[in-house]
Amino acid sequence: MEAMPTAAEFEKTIQSGELIESSSEMTPEYLRELKHTLIVSGDTELISAPAYYLAAKRAPSINAFMTGIAIIQDELAHAHIAYHILEELGEDQEKLIFSRDPKSFRYPYAFDVPLDSWTELVVANGMYDQAGFCLLGDIHDKCSYGPWKRGLNKVMAEENFHLRNGRTWMKRISQAGGSAKEELQRAVDWMFPLSVEWFGLPDSLKMHSTQLEYRLKGLTNDQLRQWWLSTVVPYCEEIGIKVPAHKETRDGKDVWQLDYPFPCEFDAEAKRWDFGKPITWDDVLVRWRDRGPRNAEMVAMFQEEFHKFRKTHHNGS
Amino acid sequence: MSERLWAALSEVQDPEMPVNLVDLGVIYALSECDGVVDVELTFTAMGCPASDFILDDVRERLLREEGVREVRIQVVWNPPWTAARLTQEGRDALEAWGLAV
Repeated sequence: MEAMPTAAEFEKTIQSGELIESSSEMTPEYLRELKHTLIVSGDTELISAPAYYLAAKRAPSINAFMTGIAIIQDELAHAHIAYHILEELGEDQEKLIFSRDPKSFRYPYAFDVPLDSWTELVVANGMYDQAGFCLLGDIHDKCSYGPWKRGLNKVMAEENFHLRNGRTWMKRISQAGGSAKEELQRAVDWMFPLSVEWFGLPDSLKMHSTQLEYRLKGLTNDQLRQWWLSTVVPYCEEIGIKVPAHKETRDGKDVWQLDYPFPCEFDAEAKRWDFGKPITWDDVLVRWRDRGPRNAEMVAMFQEEFHKFRKTHHNGS
Repeated sequence: MSERLWAALSEVQDPEMPVNLVDLGVIYALSECDGVVDVELTFTAMGCPASDFILDDVRERLLREEGVREVRIQVVWNPPWTAARLTQEGRDALEAWGLAV
């Protein structure tokens, strides 16, 4: 067996752009950071399944329902890729999924706010999946851990399909006009700022990123947020939906600027932002840690039956 | 004209896989008469989640061809699609993507 590399040797490997292929090539710090990044990715994909399912049930046609269900199947497969790698790195997949407390799952807060209609589901496909696309696209492009980087090949094509579902339906609903368009605008009004928040602390507050240092990802939070804004804002404008952001040119470069204080107060029950009430990132972190309205219900959706089945199964044997 | 229409459809990508519809082998027939194009196509699975997108894309692409004023699409299930209907290019594209065909 190869000896674990020293910190200096490891740093050299990372800087050379070489890929890491197994845990024998890692330092314990890298392993810890890789696992943390994988857990966030796996949890995000996993929880999107119940979140989307509860809304896909309200699909307006069989074809639309089929597309919704196919997207959920994709998300579960993506979760599986992350948890499978975690298992190879020594974690217990079953424990991770079925024995953790709901509050300790590490997915974006946005999924804790209920998606209550087909309209909200397609906005999630257009905005949340775009966020996932930016985050995973960056990892696919830059990640120093070979097995994950390669596992993301198919994931990117599938996320593209989810985006297409979101965009096609958003456009269709907007063109329908009237109350359908108003409902779409209301969904965008609360979901847009939640997606902006998805990318986390601004670079100015995040002095040091171990994930970047280890090349687990390549772009900073603000760079990822800008990428997201550069795709979502023009699309919404094109289909006649208003979003609180605009483009500015600074030093010859396009910069996307938010038209509201970031971060600010959010009422999850009412699904309403108060742009008149700026808050601090510490306040946001408290809200995230407390989790939102649907956290426990969604985790219970897959945990409860697992434990029930296991109990009856074991009693019989 | 027919050649031009086939070429147009070979520019339409499958929404889920990196392969175009002609190389995927789902276009069964294509004919044109007085600006009206008739297409017979199938899907790789009866529960194809991308069926609406595929129909939209085919219609939209053919209508961009000069002289085409109407597109009529018929979805057929016979003969059923199998991987044997892939062209060599289609097979190479899917294998490069990591799909065993």
